[in-house]
Amino acid sequence: MLPAPLAAPGHRVVEFENVTKRFGAFTAVRDVTLSVGSGEILGLLGPNGSGKTTLIRMLTGMHTPSEGRLRVAGFDTVRQPLEARRCIGYVPESHPLYDHMRVREFLPFMASLRGMDTKAVPAAVGEVVESLALAEVLSAPIRTLSRGYRQRVAIAQALVHRPSVLVLDEPTNGLDPRQIIETRNLVRGLAGRCTVLMSSHILTEIAQIVDRVAILLRGRLLTVRSMEETPDLEELFLSLA
Amino acid sequence: MRTLGVLLRKELHATFTSPIAYVVSGVFLLVAGYTFSLSLFMSKVANLTYVFHQIYILLILLVPVITMRSFAEERKTDTLELLLTAPIREIWIVLAKFLGALALVVLLLLASTSFVAVLWLFGDPDLAPIGGGYLALLLLACLLAALGTLWSSLTENQVVAAAASLGTFLMLWFADSVAYILPAPIDLLFVNLSLIGHFAPFVSGSLFLSDVGYYLTGTLMALFLTARALADR
Repeated sequence: MLPAPLAAPGHRVVEFENVTKRFGAFTAVRDVTLSVGSGEILGLLGPNGSGKTTLIRMLTGMHTPSEGRLRVAGFDTVRQPLEARRCIGYVPESHPLYDHMRVREFLPFMASLRGMDTKAVPAAVGEVVESLALAEVLSAPIRTLSRGYRQRVAIAQALVHRPSVLVLDEPTNGLDPRQIIETRNLVRGLAGRCTVLMSSHILTEIAQIVDRVAILLRGRLLTVRSMEETPDLEELFLSLA
Repeated sequence: MRTLGVLLRKELHATFTSPIAYVVSGVFLLVAGYTFSLSLFMSKVANLTYVFHQIYILLILLVPVITMRSFAEERKTDTLELLLTAPIREIWIVLAKFLGALALVVLLLLASTSFVAVLWLFGDPDLAPIGGGYLALLLLACLLAALGTLWSSLTENQVVAAAASLGTFLMLWFADSVAYILPAPIDLLFVNLSLIGHFAPFVSGSLFLSDVGYYLTGTLMALFLTARALADR
């Protein structure tokens, strides 16, 4: 079972407030203000190097913002980092997994690491294994898994503790067409149950999955549009970029 | 503490499913056993002084191989991102890595206590310097594991981590030699930094708090710096 339906649809769960990130003299993200509502799927769209991953890494606590504030479910990511991180499930771009573990060892490890009660772990693992169809590879060493299964295990580890926010960094990178469709369906299936923030540089992918799109270029947020009012995302992107 | 337990189990699993642990154990037991047999048959004296000095050198050479992967491998494979974005404090991650590396060294030291059993069976060894020697080796292992973990947290290249750790250990070993060419009072600083200078008294059966303090302070400082290195984002 995936995260339970959220109580207050439309309530702001993720908030970026004038967020800037500098690495030395280089400014990766510049003065971004953005919010994501409860149960909403927001896409971060932009070319490589536009600041999508940096923005995501600040949200997940991997980087701290140089300026501005970020809140997740009301928790400040700098002042209350542990509380904020507890609300997030994160799938990094490279789908990192512990290759020396088996799937049945890795998922309980990640659930425990995210603070889940020991007694609740087996049921939670069973639920993500069922929803992501991982039963047949449960005993397999992770190093032997195909790319598609690795990606599913990466998503399972992000969902196992039932987060209210799921963050996906380029989730379909390197997948074959069938796996891309599966991922798309999975993320769409989370709509209304979990707030999803996903980055991509592929226009069609964003257009088919998200409720709203935020377009980034050279670290700046150019626009945020609802997909309903954006019939031609390609045209919009070209007009801005 | 539960978080530490979860992380430590993972570290121990990683350590003991890696061939490095078995290669290191094989080298350690072979060389230590050879040294013990040789010193026993040559001197026919029931003590472990020579063996302790040999293990001291072995730890300096082998601990970098044990600690090099702790953070460097996680950086290389991006799994460090999973740990650093989990709702846990950096210090638990550092302690788990440190204890995971230390566990292997402690196991090796425990295996070497079979030498004490042999001396006990066939002779009448003085247990004070033997106890002191094992305490010194344990404290040395703590300091080396902490410094090795620190270097591993600063790079994603395991070879660089191992080389930097080995270089640091050798510099600390020979720090008192440099003191001969330095003016007072700087020479005292280098004498007091020496690994061997704080190790030898234990093996001769003398226990000084300053020696214990040296190893414990160094260990805590290295662990603190590792946690700072991880927290610096």
